[in-house]
Amino acid sequence: MLVKYLLATIIAGLFAGIILTPAMYVKNVPLILHAEEYESAGGGGHSHDTPASASESAAVTPHEHAEEAGPELPFGRLGNTLLINLVAGAGFALITGAAALFLGHRITLQNGIYWGLAGFFIFNFAPAFSLAPELPAMPAADLAMRQTWWLITVILTAGGVYLIVLREQIWAKLLGVILIVAPHIYGAPEAEDLTSAVPPTLASEFAVSALATNLFFWVVLGTALGWAIQNYASSELEQ
Amino acid sequence: MATVRTSNTISLPLASRLTTAVVSLLLGVFIIYGVGLSHSETLHDTAHDTRHSYGFPCH
Repeated sequence: MLVKYLLATIIAGLFAGIILTPAMYVKNVPLILHAEEYESAGGGGHSHDTPASASESAAVTPHEHAEEAGPELPFGRLGNTLLINLVAGAGFALITGAAALFLGHRITLQNGIYWGLAGFFIFNFAPAFSLAPELPAMPAADLAMRQTWWLITVILTAGGVYLIVLREQIWAKLLGVILIVAPHIYGAPEAEDLTSAVPPTLASEFAVSALATNLFFWVVLGTALGWAIQNYASSELEQ
Repeated sequence: MATVRTSNTISLPLASRLTTAVVSLLLGVFIIYGVGLSHSETLHDTAHDTRHSYGFPCH
């Protein structure tokens, strides 16, 4: 077991998770909070749910949803998000490190950014192409169906990226393109009724800011992976 | 030794990499399942903002 390699991977993931948290608070979390105001305002098929009239605003005060008593861990909204980002960072780092190890490739400080970009493409960009990052209270198809589509898309895209980037043969590159495009031609599950209480401007702002934030996260993660593996685990990989 | 440092490939044979790769992959997949996909209400509520921000299907 290459213990140093595993530890270096986890350290890089935790680091990227810490950095991700303030990045999320620049745009994504404020947009989520904003959207939740509309969620508490009723949602459904009405297009007049925006608190336009000041006299009616008592019925749709933004704060009603804020204290929804859920069974979440007791570290507060920011604390929970930081904790989950740390764990998620480690998870994505472990998967990326495992892929490099399977393939016999070394993640270095120089090529780390490319591993990060591949991760971004596989886990964020490709699924978002047909299933854009969504805000609370937006109309959506059945959760389990969307999750299944997301997972299949991630796996197919990973295979596609491998075939295009690491295989020389022309048939492999063509097959890679087919794998990446196939889930989008098949199509992601869509909600039947697209009317939403969340203004479309918020939704489009969120889709872009979520992708930008995740791109930043993956660039940090890839670079950190290269740095950590190079500094702490290279002796293990030299036999 | 110095030449290995600049190499982008790992000279270690697959057999000696495999255990770590499998353990790392399983651990990573388990974590990402918990963070992004699990239907556990506690996990969903705790991971809520990260799930939305990350683009995981949520709700």
